[in-house]
Amino acid sequence: MDAIDYHALLPEIILAVTVLATLLVDLFTSRKSFAAITAMIGMFASFVAILTLAFCDNLTFCTSTGDRVLFGGSFVVDGYAIVLQGLFIFAGFIVVLMSVGYLETDRYYEGEFYFLIVSAVLGAAVMASSRDFISMIVALEIVSGSGFLLAGWRKGDARSNEASLKFFIIGVLALALLLFGVSLIYGLTGTQVFSEIAAASSSVEDIALFNLGAIFVLLGFGFKVSAVPFHFWTPDVYEGSPPPVTAWLSVGSKGAGFVGLLSVCYLALPSVTEIWGPVLWLVAALSMTIGNIVAIKQTNVIRLLGYSSIAQAGFMLAPFGAAAATGADLSQTFSATVTYLVIYAVMNLGAFAVVIIVGTRVGSYELERWSGLNTWAPGLALSLAAFFMSLAGIPPLAGWFAKFVMFSATIGVGSWWGYSIAIVAALNAVIALVYYLKVLKSAFFDTVPADLDVATLEAGTVPGPTSFAIGLTAAAVLVLGIFPGLAANLGDFSSDFLATLGL
Amino acid sequence: MTLIQFLIVATALFSFGLYGVITRKNAVLVLASVELMLAAVNINLVAFDVYLDDPLNSGQIFTLFTIALAAAEVGIGIAIILMIYRNRQSADVDDLDLMKG
Amino acid sequence: MEFADYLPIALMSILGIGFAGVSIFLSKKLAPHNPTPEKLAPYECGIVPLQDPVIRFPVKFYLVAMLFVIFDVEIVFLFLWAVRMDQFGWVGIGAVVLFMLMLIETLGYVWKRGALDWNVARRARNRRVVAPVATLDEAA
Repeated sequence: MDAIDYHALLPEIILAVTVLATLLVDLFTSRKSFAAITAMIGMFASFVAILTLAFCDNLTFCTSTGDRVLFGGSFVVDGYAIVLQGLFIFAGFIVVLMSVGYLETDRYYEGEFYFLIVSAVLGAAVMASSRDFISMIVALEIVSGSGFLLAGWRKGDARSNEASLKFFIIGVLALALLLFGVSLIYGLTGTQVFSEIAAASSSVEDIALFNLGAIFVLLGFGFKVSAVPFHFWTPDVYEGSPPPVTAWLSVGSKGAGFVGLLSVCYLALPSVTEIWGPVLWLVAALSMTIGNIVAIKQTNVIRLLGYSSIAQAGFMLAPFGAAAATGADLSQTFSATVTYLVIYAVMNLGAFAVVIIVGTRVGSYELERWSGLNTWAPGLALSLAAFFMSLAGIPPLAGWFAKFVMFSATIGVGSWWGYSIAIVAALNAVIALVYYLKVLKSAFFDTVPADLDVATLEAGTVPGPTSFAIGLTAAAVLVLGIFPGLAANLGDFSSDFLATLGL
Repeated sequence: MTLIQFLIVATALFSFGLYGVITRKNAVLVLASVELMLAAVNINLVAFDVYLDDPLNSGQIFTLFTIALAAAEVGIGIAIILMIYRNRQSADVDDLDLMKG
Repeated sequence: MEFADYLPIALMSILGIGFAGVSIFLSKKLAPHNPTPEKLAPYECGIVPLQDPVIRFPVKFYLVAMLFVIFDVEIVFLFLWAVRMDQFGWVGIGAVVLFMLMLIETLGYVWKRGALDWNVARRARNRRVVAPVATLDEAA
């Protein structure tokens, strides 16, 4: 038996220990904050472990260099895995920061909250490294299983119950479809490891059945990333879940789905790009258009962000689908998708942090109750403006660079698949402006609703951890917007490994 | 017994399960239908494993993981359905209509 | 097929039946046995059933069933190790022990939180935060 490279597994090991420790800490202490602190320490340590892996070449104690392949190719730590694991742990950290403040004001406190968040982060981190179907599906289930429970956190709240059950039914249905596809692919290629599937897929006897399996897998992931036409559950689940959980679902859970989709499509199914390329092209175009158009008439800010996240998923898929449909070089678009995912995660988390604060203070997430936010909380209004304008893609905030990378990768494909979706995306970027600015207009230029007492609203304070989260994400949005090279480096770093595969 | 017979059974089970998920109103029955779909996947995996004579037996190993996942799903699902039943004395999926838009 | 091939099955059956028989016999012998008329009376005698008894299961059965399913099925992971136990050696045993410890931690957690406690009233008191039931129109 080969020796196991424990350094490569260190982030996951630390997270797993944190999961167990959080449970014990919650059991044996009465202070609410201890579980949160344990979770944060664990995630920070895991992040440091990822940094040591990322800068392995410059560290003295680090003996092996390059990509680390474990367990016969099932688990790989390369640039892609490192960037996305880092992203998921960052997202989990921010979500815990947001939750501390939220849960204190909420009636439904239980210590398992942090346990479930860290489990979900662990699942997402394993997802980024997994390169075979078994580990990927187990990881996916860790993410979604914790998600189902987190969505129903407010036990006595009928909306939360409903969100949880809807999410659960859709989640298990997606799992079943995905697994059926996987079983067909396994039957035709005789292996579960992505690289071996890619090698075997060119000599498959029954290519029609293989395509059917691929379609089933795409269907399953379509539900997970909530792309149109598999999006109908998203707004309801987002609205019903406690808002910090929604933040996690829209970044972590959805991101994990994207990671799975990217790995499967690029690593396992590169031989049938003509099947999934056009499908993803269509899904991307539909997601952008329908997500944005429906978002315009939303009155609830959380629902609006839900539709916005559907539209953003469309933007992420656009270069990906266009390149695959054309059969062009995939590494450029891979880098673009990862860059977009990183920037989207940071700005969406920030937006949610602000929305949670304002929502709990006003007592409602309906947009009309938010009018005149600027008069009683100029700081919050300003950060809200920053995150929403970043989501809309206005320079110098990070969002513009995400859109820029997306457009350049899409047009760089150089076929009508690329040009046509670039036009669709450009139209959608304009539509998206409408609803993001609608929120800002309400916050800055409308008058405060008469029944709201401005004095009490002004007296409210932002919990320390949440303001730290807002500060961290706001700084990241500004820095990534002004020095976009940083995000691009992450994207390139993550797609380096594709060069070795000859894609 | 040939491979195709197993695949036919599996596909039939999968279709019954999918039909159940779409048409059943009671959440517990929806859950049971999903279990049918997962059982179909298991039959597929084991049949392919034996047919291919996989030296790693990865199909059978995957089946064991699927069984564990299905059990975890049932645990979570029953917990959620119980919670809903406590609050509204019904586990009917069609009643989930508080949010629209 | 030789008759000897069935020997393990026969032994297994004898062992299974024997274990069940011995358990029943011992519980009869060891349990205190002093019946009174009240104890022998059927439990539900005289009360007109209000509802169809079939659909009314106490929630605690579901809870125990749920926990049982989860802990029961975790055994499948031991199969994977058991079939190749000799090749994995001490590393394998260490991994399995670690796995079992994780399961035991979860079991301890479930126990401490009172999910195994059949006395529902006591379980409610043990819960640190009793979540109030919100009304249906409560804002999300």
